Amino acid sequence: MSGARPFAVSLAVTLGLALVGATAAYHTRFVADNCNAAAPTPTSYITRDGSATVALRARFEGYQWAGGCWNDNDRDDSPNDPHEDPATGGEGGDCSGFTFKVWRESLDQSDSGFQQWGMLRNVHGPYTAAAFKAGAGAPNITVSKSLLTKMDALASDGHIGLIYATNPDGTDQIIEAKGEDYGTNIWTRTYRGSSSYTGVRRTGWSA
Amino acid sequence: MSQQGRRPSRFDRRRLVPALLGVLAGCTLASVTVGLGSSAVAQRAHSEAGAVFDATHLPALLRLPGERPRLVYDVQCVPEGVDDPERGCDVDGTVFFREDSREAFRAQKLQPSSSFGMRQLTATVPLDVASDTDGFEYYAELRTGGRAAPILLPAGGAHAPHRSLPLPNASTVELGSHVFGNADPGERVVFTRWGDGPRDVGLEPGRSLPAIGASAFDVTDDGKVVVLLDEAHRRALRFEGHEPAPTSVSLAIDGRLADLATDTDGSMYVLESVAAPGRTPLVRWFDRAGRELGVVETAERTPAEIRSGSDGPVVLQHPSHQWMPVADGGALSPPRAQARKAAVGRPVGAGRQVVVLRRGAGEILAAILAGGRVQRSWRIRSDTPLGDVQLAEPAGNRLVIVSRVFTHATDEFTVLVLDGHRLGRQFSTPSDEWAEAAPLGRFRLVGHDLYRLGSNASGAFVARYDLEMP
Repeated sequence: MSGARPFAVSLAVTLGLALVGATAAYHTRFVADNCNAAAPTPTSYITRDGSATVALRARFEGYQWAGGCWNDNDRDDSPNDPHEDPATGGEGGDCSGFTFKVWRESLDQSDSGFQQWGMLRNVHGPYTAAAFKAGAGAPNITVSKSLLTKMDALASDGHIGLIYATNPDGTDQIIEAKGEDYGTNIWTRTYRGSSSYTGVRRTGWSA
Repeated sequence: MSQQGRRPSRFDRRRLVPALLGVLAGCTLASVTVGLGSSAVAQRAHSEAGAVFDATHLPALLRLPGERPRLVYDVQCVPEGVDDPERGCDVDGTVFFREDSREAFRAQKLQPSSSFGMRQLTATVPLDVASDTDGFEYYAELRTGGRAAPILLPAGGAHAPHRSLPLPNASTVELGSHVFGNADPGERVVFTRWGDGPRDVGLEPGRSLPAIGASAFDVTDDGKVVVLLDEAHRRALRFEGHEPAPTSVSLAIDGRLADLATDTDGSMYVLESVAAPGRTPLVRWFDRAGRELGVVETAERTPAEIRSGSDGPVVLQHPSHQWMPVADGGALSPPRAQARKAAVGRPVGAGRQVVVLRRGAGEILAAILAGGRVQRSWRIRSDTPLGDVQLAEPAGNRLVIVSRVFTHATDEFTVLVLDGHRLGRQFSTPSDEWAEAAPLGRFRLVGHDLYRLGSNASGAFVARYDLEMP
């Protein structure tokens, strides 16, 4: 009986420490456990419709600053990631990484061709929101905001979202990776009229 | 002799062995537990692509004489397990029309089409239907061969169809080119600094530009109380009359660009924007003291704004683009009931509704309906692009419209007071959007006073404008 107490204490402490560590690590394990570095598939046929599908598959998934890997189980698998940390390895893209994959762009900014990236391919791409706003990269141009259509983007110096539909009151339904507390989804936004935002278009669509 | 150098005694060894066994058992148990947890996570994190089936439609709510609407439904459909997003599934659909709400609906098959690489189903409205002087009602049912349930647009289907109303006597208002730089800042009635103190309003944490804070506000019917939603601190700040400091009311909310509507009894409705997985966003109802009175989900995925009406709060919801009552007879309404009582116009009391349609870059059609018929209507044209219509609401016999005007480099809000058949008054306000707020949470009209929520680097404020005309 004399060994029962130290056995129980050390069992409890070890188990507790291990589980606390595992729980803490959970939020940083999504990319390591699920994502890959597979090469993209070049494709010559790409439509706005297809890009809308890529975007819709990211709905309800998470947000990760500087990230670009998600699955399609309609939940954030790494919720409550710390804000302001690009290295937490959580699920989801950030706004510009999401746009890069939805527009199926190349890592080479001089290449305007189309690259099909898998959902679980962890890639952010070379563009920040501000770079998209400036029309940086061979496939991207700035466009008058009055002329924007579905799957064109509205970009500011710190954010970018894609137009999914237009509403009768002049607002837009924007599909976007909004932030850690928001994830990726469709929201009503007034970006189009805001002087902080510029219209951006990916060129070269089929059909 | 130091403690570190002392070898374990026999007594210590008796304790050390079971302790080491405990560590070993703990590691084993933890490994099993974490392993099970990991496999559960791995199960959730499957790589298979899910099915996609979604549709949107910009309804022809208002139209000018001679216009024959072409109804267009953008449809996204890809089967489950298909990685290639370009490989769509078969979709078809039917649109149902009727000219009179007492008649049965007539079915017309939607035709496949495409525009800019987007798959669509379309129908041109039959001439006899389009030329009916009282307009027509319609809804669509969209289907796929897969397991997905049909989509009804609007969600209430035959119970709450879209309406398309002709405007034969619309008064035309020509705004010309907007002159920027003459915006009226208004009379500031509330100001509160960014911060965490009792009088401050909070900014949401995170890498969000612009900042997010003071997401919405409302003003009581007597104009004496301004309520500011401080969602970062999960509270409302009530600014009453000439009281030097606001009263803080704690609210159990999960804000994130939430909108706010107050009722005549001081109760508050908060419309959240982020939903739990597989759910729709919530409307939370609180009494004046912040006690929760109820919670209900919205009918649709993308609610845009909440307003108090004479018959209770209503929420503008997308993709139906309809105003849906979220309470009925003093109780919150479930999503299905919301969709079945939806309307294309915002109810503004006495059986009246206001319908707005911004079309093209610089045109707004607006109508006041009474008893379901167009009472007065306007066609507003601008050479400067018009953006979001933030407010369209009667003030006495007038209609007040607040819309954004914008260029590539700047934006303001233009306030139009439409008096009978003419533009009675027009002025502009700054946009003052240093922090992001709820998309349609920036303006409120109480009597003849227009209130505007703005923000700058120091804090958030509410400005007032007297719309009374000489």
